[in-house]
Amino acid sequence: MAADRDFYQILGVPRTASQDEIQRAYRKLARASHPDINKDPAAEERFKDISEAYDVLSDPQTRRRYDAFGPDFRQVPEDVDPETWRRARAGARAGAGAGRAGRGGGSRFSYGAGGDIDVEDLLGGLFGGRAGRGWGPVPGADQEAEIELSIEDAYRGGRRSISLAGPDGARTLDVTIPAGVTNGQRIRLAGQGGSGGDGARAGDLYLVVRIAPHPNYRLEGRDLHVELRLAPWEAALGTSVAVPTPGGEAKVTVPEGTSSGRRLRLRGRGVPNPRGKPGDLFAEAKIMVPPRPSKAERELFEQLAAASDFDPRRRQ
Amino acid sequence: MSHAMVRATQLDLDTFAAAAGLHPEMIRRLVALGILDATRDSSGRLWFARRQLAVVARCQRLRAGLGLNYAAVGLVLDLLDRIATLEAALRGPRRPGGQ
Repeated sequence: MAADRDFYQILGVPRTASQDEIQRAYRKLARASHPDINKDPAAEERFKDISEAYDVLSDPQTRRRYDAFGPDFRQVPEDVDPETWRRARAGARAGAGAGRAGRGGGSRFSYGAGGDIDVEDLLGGLFGGRAGRGWGPVPGADQEAEIELSIEDAYRGGRRSISLAGPDGARTLDVTIPAGVTNGQRIRLAGQGGSGGDGARAGDLYLVVRIAPHPNYRLEGRDLHVELRLAPWEAALGTSVAVPTPGGEAKVTVPEGTSSGRRLRLRGRGVPNPRGKPGDLFAEAKIMVPPRPSKAERELFEQLAAASDFDPRRRQ
Repeated sequence: MSHAMVRATQLDLDTFAAAAGLHPEMIRRLVALGILDATRDSSGRLWFARRQLAVVARCQRLRAGLGLNYAAVGLVLDLLDRIATLEAALRGPRRPGGQ
């Protein structure tokens, strides 16, 4: 709740704003943060604040009372004169000063049960209560939030703690990430979305998986691509190389006569798939040469150059 | 009785109205306005998929929160569906994740 926030500030209008300006500001903000249009978990709370502010400021009568009495205006009986109220409050503060400092002269105008009145009660909840007119309790809206995972997290799955905006400030959720989630996949957390009115069930929260870039791997769906660096002689003669994967090392057999760009596939060694075929691992050959060949290397390359009639620029 | 199997996953008008917390007549009107999807069986009775309950809730929130009339609610529901489809396509599996 925006208990301590100024209603004008919430709507972003000056205290001198006309009813038209208030209405315009409210309409714009309400459209932008309506929980069915804005899936950000923080939007629901913002929407409630905006609605509450508009509820008060759109009615010239309540607006006058809000201007006169401030956030406590609902605790002030209808017939109280603003001047009297101000003096009473000032007096109460100047006096004993004990106890209910902030709430000022609340006791002087005691009525009913006294104490704080929950604005939520007065509005009867955001949806449902206000919807009135034959509507029953309204279930909450679905929400969406992004969750960033490393490729290793996506590969192995596991538990993750995420922090989200909620009705009572930030809330932390412990989420179990299934092994083998892919980029853009949505993880549904039933009942963790927007709250429902009048005890109706809450909406669902969807976590949209975003897989963070990785220095070694590139991910395409469930296929993993890694660079496979080879020495010229390894590429020419063929070899067997251990390639790191999120699930441990994989052995790649490089056939003889492998050129840069050749992709060697290890079937099923990509990201696992809980509902079917796992992805593949593609190791792409990249031939590297010694940047500063030793004397011996230079001699051997020279020999090779003299002996070989291989021309890489000749088309086969 | 193969069609009984289908009906088991569907709700009849009264059950649906009760689950939505609305009067059946209200539900009928939402169908007539094209906001809710329903199928009609050979005896003319309306049947609803369970997920239509979420549509009712959304409709109620849009009415209450933005003061939309039913024509506007129908339009917004259609647009939100289209946005959802587009967003799903955008984050589709073909989008590379690394580097």
